[in-house]
Amino acid sequence: MQNDGSFDGVFVVGAGQTPYEKRTSKTVQRLIWEASDLALRSAGLEFRDVDGLGVTCFTLAPENVTTMAEHLGLQCRWLCHGMFGGASGISGMLHAARAIQAGDASVVVIVAADAFDVSSHMSMNRSAGQHDYMGLWGYGAANGVFALQTRLYMQQFGATREDFGRLCIAQRQNAMLNPNALLRTPLTMEDYLNARPIADPLRLYDCVLPCCGADAVVLTNETIASRLDAPKVALLGGGEIHNFPPNEPYALSAGWEKFQDRIWRQSRSAPEQMDFVQLYDDYPVMEFIQLEGMGFAERGRAAELIRNNDCTVRGTLPINTGGGQLSAGQCGASGGMIGVYEAVVQLRGEAGERQVPDARIGAVTGYGAVSYGRGLSASACVLGRA
Amino acid sequence: MAEAKKPPPRINPTNRPFFEGCNEQRLMLQQCEAADCRRHVYFPRVCCPYCGSGDLEWRQASGSGTIVTYTIVHRPNHPSFFPEAPYYFIAVRLAEGPLMYSRLVEKPQSDLDLLGRQVSVTFVPHSDDQMLPYFRLT
Repeated sequence: MQNDGSFDGVFVVGAGQTPYEKRTSKTVQRLIWEASDLALRSAGLEFRDVDGLGVTCFTLAPENVTTMAEHLGLQCRWLCHGMFGGASGISGMLHAARAIQAGDASVVVIVAADAFDVSSHMSMNRSAGQHDYMGLWGYGAANGVFALQTRLYMQQFGATREDFGRLCIAQRQNAMLNPNALLRTPLTMEDYLNARPIADPLRLYDCVLPCCGADAVVLTNETIASRLDAPKVALLGGGEIHNFPPNEPYALSAGWEKFQDRIWRQSRSAPEQMDFVQLYDDYPVMEFIQLEGMGFAERGRAAELIRNNDCTVRGTLPINTGGGQLSAGQCGASGGMIGVYEAVVQLRGEAGERQVPDARIGAVTGYGAVSYGRGLSASACVLGRA
Repeated sequence: MAEAKKPPPRINPTNRPFFEGCNEQRLMLQQCEAADCRRHVYFPRVCCPYCGSGDLEWRQASGSGTIVTYTIVHRPNHPSFFPEAPYYFIAVRLAEGPLMYSRLVEKPQSDLDLLGRQVSVTFVPHSDDQMLPYFRLT
């Protein structure tokens, strides 16, 4: 086997998602348990089978992945506390996969959760890059950060508000088929263009709805996977990069182009073969940038791709088939897992009304760790029906 | 209701000269002392993020720069900014090289394109004991 860093022998055998809610009386530990429990049940496994745990959760402190293992009663050989925000879901899976390949763990739960509303999101304890060098000037939190990125992208590549609107509207159509999505009323272009201004050029429907919930997946090795009845999903390829490029917030990429070739090589596939794409949609401009970085469109040309395709679940290029964070909701750090969950459910053929017909292979991207003007972490993977 | 106070800077040994400089109405930047680097650095660091040298000196910057990108904030991140909204939040490429986030003192006008516009620094009270650099169009 050539050393392309393949993830051979690693399977995703379960996926779980809690109800997404605007408010909750549950603690994040309970949300983490719920999603993990659902994921393990869907795999036909139990908590006693688990020997690895990866957790990402902005609101877990002072608890952490180790005290979470204690809380759940898990004896673990492998733990990972995801610190890459919305890139953590995929990063966690990739790290877990290496541990599984090396025999350091055999059954790993990767879970993300948060209990957020708009005001707790605004008052988060943030790193210096945001708090001390943007926040003191009233930057508008993530909305301000990505308004700056969006304006520059529009100026550099000629994308319009309508271009972003097309994608937001397609995702809303997908959300309308997802019983767990929080925003399920139709969105028109007029609604999109005339919504309340948040941070110019961003308006309300460019911004996610903070909410409460959790998503989880279960990974295991070939031996255990082969004795489970659950449908199996193979991790065909993956990669990540951080702080790309150093010292420059306005490269209009977080670096997917640095590893996309390797992912397509590992997975022996190409963008045009994907049955769906799950993008990290904190803001539509980042979806455009991910499509370009992963090779679905040339740099600066994602608007054309969206214009020339139907991005709904029955369309030519289904994107964020459950509605994504923009229409299903963003449960904080779980925004980095919603795409992974959705991909696994689609590949298992369990997506109900929103099922992409005969979905066999799909790409998922992650993005997060917002600091000085941009997200620092980018990740992506390709998953396929095994 | 009592007026919300703006969040204070979290001053530490790494960034103290920057925030003290603001109170003297001097825009202070770090500069790498390595002979083959000499890059200016912002935000404040413990080492040069270009070459890794730990030898950084504080120097006063010219205070002029160019707007790289900007937004008009309608929904601020903290209630203390609500009375000021909407306002321009800007990314400025300083003449010395680094990128700095700040505000424009001018009130927003919907038909104004600020990309590439020249700006110069001015200091504005943030709290009773802290000034911060803002910019004005030149």
